Amino acid sequence: MEPIALPLLEEAIQKMWTKFLPQMEERLAILEEADAALGADILTIEQRSAANAAAHKLAGVLGSFGLTKGTILAREAEILYSGEPETDPAAAAQLREITAQLRTLIEEKKNSH
Amino acid sequence: MEKQRGGPGLAHRILIIDDEDDIREVAALSLETVAGWEVLTASSGAQGLTRAAEAQPDAILLDVMMPGMDGPSTFRELRANPATARIPVLLLTAKVQSSDQRRFADLGVEAVLFKPFDPLTLSTQIASVLGWS
Repeated sequence: MEPIALPLLEEAIQKMWTKFLPQMEERLAILEEADAALGADILTIEQRSAANAAAHKLAGVLGSFGLTKGTILAREAEILYSGEPETDPAAAAQLREITAQLRTLIEEKKNSH
Repeated sequence: MEKQRGGPGLAHRILIIDDEDDIREVAALSLETVAGWEVLTASSGAQGLTRAAEAQPDAILLDVMMPGMDGPSTFRELRANPATARIPVLLLTAKVQSSDQRRFADLGVEAVLFKPFDPLTLSTQIASVLGWS
C-alpha cells in the first residue's frame, strides 16, 4: 500500500475510535462493576482479575487515540486491581474516582465528534 | 511492479501479533499509511508462528500479554525455528515497570516498544531500531 497524505491518518484514526468505542465502553463497564462490587465488599477474585485486564487494555490503547490522561488513569487502576484493594478502603474510593474520570474522558471525546 | 523489500528506504513487510483487535488495526493503519509498509497480522502467538514462517516478514511486532502462548513464549518458538530464527522481533507492551522492561530486554529481542504508541511515529521508532532510516 502506498503511503497516504498524513492529514488523512487523523481521519482514519477517528474512524477506528468510532469502531472500537463499544469495546472501550465494555472495558469501562467492567471497571465500574468491579468498583461497585468493591464498594459493597463483594468483589470476587474473577472480577478483580477482569478489572485488572480491562484497565491494562485501556491503558494500552487510549493514548493512541489521543487520550494520554486516560492511559495514565487506566494504569493507576491496573496497579490498584493487581493488588488487593478490598483490604484498603482508600483504594476503593480512589478506584471509583479513576473510573469516573475515565468515563468523563471517553464521553467527552465521544461527544466531540 | 513489486516493490523491493528489506533495506533502508525500501518497503518493508511487518507482521503484527496481538490478540487485541484495536491495537492490531491501529498499528496496521499507522504502518501502512505513514510508512507505506506491507502489514500482516495475527491474533495469537500460534497463528503468528505460522504466518511468520510462511510470509517471512522483515520484522515482527509482538505483543507481550496474550492468552495462550504469550509474547515471550512466542518469541522463543520463533527463535527455535530455523525458518524464523533470524527475523527481528520487537516486543510491544503496556507494562511500564522497570522490572518488566529488564525481563523483556533480557529475552534477546531487538527492542521493547511501549503502548500506547503514537500512530504518527510508530514506523519511525521501528525503522530507527532496525537501522532502516
